[in-house]
Amino acid sequence: MIKEKTDALTIRDLTLDYGTTRAVNDVNLALKPQELGCLLGPSGCGKSTLLRAIAGFHPLTSGEIWLEGKLLTNPSESVLAELRGVGMMFQDIALFPHLTVEQNIGFGLSDWPKSKAKARIGELLDLISLHNLGTRYPHELSGGQQQRVALARSMAPRPKVLLLDEPFSGLDTELRGRLTSEVRTILKGDGICSLLVTHDRREAFDFADRIAVMDDGHICQFDTSFNLYHEPVSPFVAHFVGPGEMVDAKVNDLRSVKTPFGVLKSDIDLGFEIGSDVRIFLRPDDLIQDDDSEHTATLVGKHFRGAHYLYEVRLDNGVLLGCFGLSQHDHKIGERFGVSLDIQHLVVFPK
Amino acid sequence: MAVTDKVRLVSFRILRPNGLLIATFCAALCVALPLFVVLSFLVTTSSDVWQHLVDTLLLRYISNTLLLSFYVAIGVAFIGVPTAWIIAFYRFPGRNTLSWLLLLPMAYPAYILAYTYTGVLEYAGPVLTWMRAVDMPEWVMSPFLHIRSLAGAALMLSLVLYPYVYLLARAAFLQQSANLMEAGYTLGQNRFSVFRRIVIPMARPAIAAGVLLAIMETVADFGTVQFFGVQTFTTGIMRTYYGFGDTPGAAQLSSLLLGFVAVLIVLERNSRTRIRYYSDQMRRLDKAAQNLNGFRAFGAQLMCFLPILFGFLVPTMLLTSWTLFDAQMQSLWQLAWNSFALAGGSALFIVGVALVIGYANRLFPSHSLSYVTTFIGLGYALPGIVVAIGVLIPFGAFDVWISAQLAPWSVTPQLWISGTLVAVIFAYLVRFLAVANGNIVSGLSRIRPSIDQSGRLLGLSQTGVLTNIHIPLMRGSVLTAILVCFVDILKELPATLILRPFDFNTLAVRAYELAGQERLIDASPASLCIVLVGLIPVILLNRSIGKL
Repeated sequence: MIKEKTDALTIRDLTLDYGTTRAVNDVNLALKPQELGCLLGPSGCGKSTLLRAIAGFHPLTSGEIWLEGKLLTNPSESVLAELRGVGMMFQDIALFPHLTVEQNIGFGLSDWPKSKAKARIGELLDLISLHNLGTRYPHELSGGQQQRVALARSMAPRPKVLLLDEPFSGLDTELRGRLTSEVRTILKGDGICSLLVTHDRREAFDFADRIAVMDDGHICQFDTSFNLYHEPVSPFVAHFVGPGEMVDAKVNDLRSVKTPFGVLKSDIDLGFEIGSDVRIFLRPDDLIQDDDSEHTATLVGKHFRGAHYLYEVRLDNGVLLGCFGLSQHDHKIGERFGVSLDIQHLVVFPK
Repeated sequence: MAVTDKVRLVSFRILRPNGLLIATFCAALCVALPLFVVLSFLVTTSSDVWQHLVDTLLLRYISNTLLLSFYVAIGVAFIGVPTAWIIAFYRFPGRNTLSWLLLLPMAYPAYILAYTYTGVLEYAGPVLTWMRAVDMPEWVMSPFLHIRSLAGAALMLSLVLYPYVYLLARAAFLQQSANLMEAGYTLGQNRFSVFRRIVIPMARPAIAAGVLLAIMETVADFGTVQFFGVQTFTTGIMRTYYGFGDTPGAAQLSSLLLGFVAVLIVLERNSRTRIRYYSDQMRRLDKAAQNLNGFRAFGAQLMCFLPILFGFLVPTMLLTSWTLFDAQMQSLWQLAWNSFALAGGSALFIVGVALVIGYANRLFPSHSLSYVTTFIGLGYALPGIVVAIGVLIPFGAFDVWISAQLAPWSVTPQLWISGTLVAVIFAYLVRFLAVANGNIVSGLSRIRPSIDQSGRLLGLSQTGVLTNIHIPLMRGSVLTAILVCFVDILKELPATLILRPFDFNTLAVRAYELAGQERLIDASPASLCIVLVGLIPVILLNRSIGKL
């Protein structure tokens, strides 16, 4: 039971059903105090259901949820949603349209002393930089302003954990990127332990300290964005956190594989039988344009990305791969050029 | 390259006046005519009768109208809000059926309900006869004896008008995002607090709008208050016009009533604006509804059943049984033919005008046009009796003028238009154009401009777009508009009563006359006829809501 004391939020062996379908299957997850976590997964993977179970809006089939060393819920007992100390920011913002910005933020402070509540509202208005809009109504605010008010409202009663259910999904891409970082800064400043749900990997990267990639009710991997990207534990995770292609290879020895690009070395033991067929996962940034290389590839597609090109190249053995190229070079489709691999960590999956 | 005759350059700025726009402004003038005629009497000098009115009856008209409105407001809120609440937030056996049965009382004009209850509650009627037989104490019998009172009128009106509140409140409850309630829970509020601080305040504008609509109908009501002998503005106008023969006095009373209506309109529009801000299209409450079992389910069923019982089932059973076994009434067929032909013809005409306005707005949108259309929408708020007075005065003046012009040719002076169906249909146009317009506008708004444009790009001409796209898509809306107008006209009493040609009777007028002669049982076939036809739009309404 020591775990529950050091962790803010602990989810143990959690299974949830949505109607007759299993939404979440035997999930374990722990967030440290002040940590910003994220559940990342495609729609229908169970991430929102998991969030709603933490908030107290979804019954448990089995397992337990603990918050700061106290049991919140198990299949037979459940602390009421309003007594949990769990804050939530909703996908549709869910600001109360009949209340002003100040009244919205102060909604959860009804049993605080008047002066303290007022001070807290002022503090939050400053934090979200809307101190001059406190008397406005939600419909008088822009989408981004509404988001920030919703954030302030959910933070106001100092919840022990703050849940964010795809709160940025209704916004345009640019605003979304800006707000995500902004919200991260605000939450870090307040030291609130938070859990974001999203299907957008960039949002997850911008927001979270650690990301749990979910698929079909399971958590595949719970790790930092760097590790998810460079050391994915499964092909699903590898594909979900960024573009890349699988390439067939053969295990050469304990720490190397044979590929169409020659022998690639790994920095750790691969754990595969020598001579077995495997697949390696290559990201566009693993393959670089290199005129001195002995391996050549044909350019079959290119996408201008501003700072660089994302090329699609076909290797001489027919394998299609992504490849970064400098945007100063402008190769034509059909051109051949040399490519070489620049891999820091080899990602190998069984075939 | 020469422009061939098949390629025509199209000017996108249409400045010259065209038929559609002219027709729209004419329709607006029609609606404006009675309004301005009535209002013009505010500034004319007072007649002797008017002075007498001010001294004696005016205060009573005002206080009775206000008191009646107040009682009805309480009545409709008391019936409409709890039923909407139960239907929106709970699940129990029979809920779906009850949710639409609750609309049925809308089929009743209040005056028919009044005739029916008076018929069954009169001294020699079955209820009181039975009460005397079992020696019921005086205080139990007294309210039944005094049904013909202001409180009785308020009860009748509440029983048929509560569906306005029920519909709007239910929609407001259902449209609230479940997330808003959950947000309340995550902010530490319990169930009661969430209802008190979120659900009810957010539904308040919708409830207010429903109550205000009911009050508008109440101040416009003539048949019920007339029959119950309650002296309100509408009965006052009728009395001043017929009793004293004082048309200017009636017009002045009408303009005062209009002031009251204007206040109601402003309040109602205000509520509507807030409803727009409050409505949220995200996850509906449906999923959050609670299941009720056993005793609690029975309580919910009973609460929803009582208004249906007294607002529809009891009166309909009474009317049916009287019609089948007791009523003595000749020539129902003639009456029905008069009513249906008049209502049908008027409805077709009115919807035709509404189509013209709708297409004028679509093809030549402009600010002034949208103001004109909004103005036309006000016609529905004009009490029928006010419209009648406002039509009668200019039409009468026109008849006098024509007769004077024709006098040299020794043509007998007569009522050229004021005593004809032209006047009646004109009044219907003023009063019900808004209803038709609403249906047409909502139908047209569903055909997005991009649909027209893709039709054009795929090679259809403007006429082709009309025949291949609009007519099939608009058919439903047009039929609904015709039907709703038809039924509204069938139920309409005061304007028809005042403006109809001599000896031309409709179902509503005949029911009114028979009731006036205390022949309540004999009035039942006509009443039943109106109610049964009135059911059709209620069922349609329910279906269109079901689609949401």
